[in-house]
Amino acid sequence: MSTLMTAPANTPVWVDTARCKACDICVDACPAGVLSMQPEPTSTLGAMISVIAPDACIGCNECELSCPDFAIYVATKKEFKFAKLTDSSKARQEAIAENGYRLPEDYKEAN
Amino acid sequence: MAFNYDNYLRVNKMPTLWCWGCGDGIILKSFIRAVEKIGWKKDDVCIVSGIGCSGRFSSYVDFNTVHTTHGRTIAFATGIKLANPDKHVVCVAGDGDGLAIGGNHTIHGCRRNIDMTMILINNFIYGLTNSQTSPTTPQGMWTVSQKAGNIDPTFDACELAIAAGASFVGRETVNSPKKMEKLMLQAMEHKGFSFLDIQSNCHINLGRKNKMQSAMQNLDWIDSITVSKKKYDAMSPEEQLNLFPTGILKQDTEVREYCDMYDDIKKVHQGKRAKITQDDFAKKI
Repeated sequence: MSTLMTAPANTPVWVDTARCKACDICVDACPAGVLSMQPEPTSTLGAMISVIAPDACIGCNECELSCPDFAIYVATKKEFKFAKLTDSSKARQEAIAENGYRLPEDYKEAN
Repeated sequence: MAFNYDNYLRVNKMPTLWCWGCGDGIILKSFIRAVEKIGWKKDDVCIVSGIGCSGRFSSYVDFNTVHTTHGRTIAFATGIKLANPDKHVVCVAGDGDGLAIGGNHTIHGCRRNIDMTMILINNFIYGLTNSQTSPTTPQGMWTVSQKAGNIDPTFDACELAIAAGASFVGRETVNSPKKMEKLMLQAMEHKGFSFLDIQSNCHINLGRKNKMQSAMQNLDWIDSITVSKKKYDAMSPEEQLNLFPTGILKQDTEVREYCDMYDDIKKVHQGKRAKITQDDFAKKI
């Protein structure tokens, strides 16, 4: 088994949902509003992580480093062309963090 | 190409039994990355853990592992290291495990300066048994055993290790996994006893009655009580109160390592050298 894991095609960040416990740490760590919790009745805490804005990912690796459950992985710069951190990404992240780590239902993207 | 931790894990034991958001997982990941960087083979590493949430550490990694009795990690690890001086021994203990019931072993492990790394996972509480006061619980916090507020003074684990004679002492928190990985790498490269105080969160059992119900609140609190050693040194004694410096706090490469000295005893019994006397030591008692 190799110590490196190849990223799925055109994917900046991917999740092993069988390991995720929905602790919110990765959503808090993301600076660009890429991740959000979604309701999931079968999960213990009633939520599951989802990648809501893959195109906004800046490839900082913070979510992967701070995940305690080996559940989230980030591609390298060779595998995916990451975006730059924009004001609309920051605004989305702020809205997610203020709304209990879930994207508000009526959220409109800032331009 | 993300780092594939599965190579070092017992994958059939996943997901871990730790609570959601527990810092122990972040420490485990940093440790695995440090082992990968230092290039140790899996068969050459032995992880010794005690009882507590930190005790699960040895169950998830695919090295040689020993899950020992409460507080006796250093005792078991000393035996393993003396019998296999060419192998690498890493102890993992919690704050209750390594400072309370095993406090005696910890100070004597530090004193002997035997070549091993001790990772003390400090979450400020007895988490596994539901929030009893541990030696590192801050004064004034609510615990099951001190419901009116904890009055016991708090241990500074690193000060204890420095005083006891450990040759490498460092502190880091789960808030900075990259720095933790680097510190672990330096500790494992060091020949002699390396003591690491890794501050971790327990929002379930420490946080729920102390206004830190989520992992993020607990991590923010850890952030507020720690400061880098450089900044800490520049502070006045009043500002230093209730703050913990992070980074390498002591590194001494001059002290002789215990396995090296033990070789002399072997040589005495084999008739290859004269008996050890006080003159063999630079520091006399």
